[in-house]
Amino acid sequence: MKKILNDPFAYVDETLEGLCLAFPQYYERTGGGGRVIKRPGLARKGKVGVVTGGGSGHLPVFTGYVGRGLLDACAIGEVFASPSVEQMVDAMRAADGGAGILRLYGNYGGDVMNFDMAGEMMDMEDVPSTTVRLADDVASAPPAEAAKRRGVAGMIYAFKIAGAAAEAGLDLAGVTRVAQAAADACRTVGVALTPCTVPQAGRPTFTIGEDEMEIGMGIHGEPGVRRGALRPAQAIAGEMLDMLLADRPIASGQRVSVLVNSLGATPPEELFILYRDVAARLTGAGASIVMPLVGRYACSMEMAGVSFTIITLTPELEKYLLAPAECAFWRV
Amino acid sequence: MPLTVPVLAAGLSRIAAHMETAADSLNTIDGQLGDGDLGVTMVRGGREVVKALPTLPADVGMALMACAQAFTRASGSSYGTLLATALLSAAKATKGRTEVPWTEVPALLQGALDAMIARGKASLGDKTVLDALNAAIEATTGKDDPAAMLVAAAAAVDATLARMRNEPAHIGRARIFADRSVGLDDPGQVAFREILRGLGA
Repeated sequence: MKKILNDPFAYVDETLEGLCLAFPQYYERTGGGGRVIKRPGLARKGKVGVVTGGGSGHLPVFTGYVGRGLLDACAIGEVFASPSVEQMVDAMRAADGGAGILRLYGNYGGDVMNFDMAGEMMDMEDVPSTTVRLADDVASAPPAEAAKRRGVAGMIYAFKIAGAAAEAGLDLAGVTRVAQAAADACRTVGVALTPCTVPQAGRPTFTIGEDEMEIGMGIHGEPGVRRGALRPAQAIAGEMLDMLLADRPIASGQRVSVLVNSLGATPPEELFILYRDVAARLTGAGASIVMPLVGRYACSMEMAGVSFTIITLTPELEKYLLAPAECAFWRV
Repeated sequence: MPLTVPVLAAGLSRIAAHMETAADSLNTIDGQLGDGDLGVTMVRGGREVVKALPTLPADVGMALMACAQAFTRASGSSYGTLLATALLSAAKATKGRTEVPWTEVPALLQGALDAMIARGKASLGDKTVLDALNAAIEATTGKDDPAAMLVAAAAAVDATLARMRNEPAHIGRARIFADRSVGLDDPGQVAFREILRGLGA
């Protein structure tokens, strides 16, 4: 293992400590064991709280997107492990402004079990809450089993749009409806070139040949749909776009946003090389691209690889996507 | 005397004390099929629950919820989450009451069983804690004396363990060792038996 760290078992806590030291204007630690990050100060009265949670190792996901017009609080687990029920309850309490809470997170078994239970506990305290789960990874299950899909980089769009809807003063039902519409409108596919190493495990999460790539691999190294020889950028982009557009065809005149995301080690240069083909293909299909995102938005530590996310926009989704928002990793 | 928060607290502290001595054998049994930390889970969960006892509210439902929260604080294991699920189910059914008649306990356990099935995606007959709990429900239904209920539940759980010992496990990590699980007690069922033993101590 070649990593910069002190103690693998302190990896998450030391990360959060540094994050809050660097950006106290955005992040404050709270909750049992300091495993909740919230916006500084009190939850805004009358605003729906938007809460997420998940494992560490994905920064800026999840906790980086706590901020104005984005998330109110985030429960943080060990690297690639679900936060506890208690941490989720703490995050929901931290985000409670009296108008209810939206739990907005990726569709993974442990997170679902724990967030469902945390929601039941908040019910007991008479705090209403709702759930929207991201299931945007088209490679993780066929369309007939879309509810089983994992949540990946599409959650950036859902965080942004739900956060803006809450900031705009929509009630819990309204924020939930908008968040669900955003989640439903996202499709993502990834490609991995190299694995990453979980500090406490000390070994790469999978092995892959020097000249190989795996299309559809998940952000924790879950198996993808095809492993083969590494191909030129244009061919990789073509195969990924084929998968996305087959799953959710785009009509001429459709307004979309697109995220070309590094899984960690892939540099911006390579993302821009890919973006040329993404833009050409989408505009060629008659789509108009709104606010494209190119960069490191949802990572798997030092994994090399990329993901593409396309979100088809309605006027309402576009309005909330373009609304002001601010965190340490992203400003709109 | 009906089930009240002081009665509940006394029972939980007996269970937690018993787990301190039962932990080693639970770890050993769990280690034959799983990661060998079930005893640790029960001890750490029990200690967190004991810490919560002095500040329990008089509302049985809210007290049960505080115990569920305490249990999840100690452990992210699936067994811990299932037990907390059971506590939370009973919490919802008793919220707003300071006394619960003993005759209602089998129905509370049935609600807990249903919630555990929904959350854990296992079924009766899979050789899990669910089978032990189901046996306890059948044995206590219609009874109103807590001591008699406990004796009946313990006998039913012992019988379930004996009946299922020679079956393979159908779910979870133990399923991977399905053949090896034949002849071995299910660790989750054993932990449930230890809960009853603690309650009767």
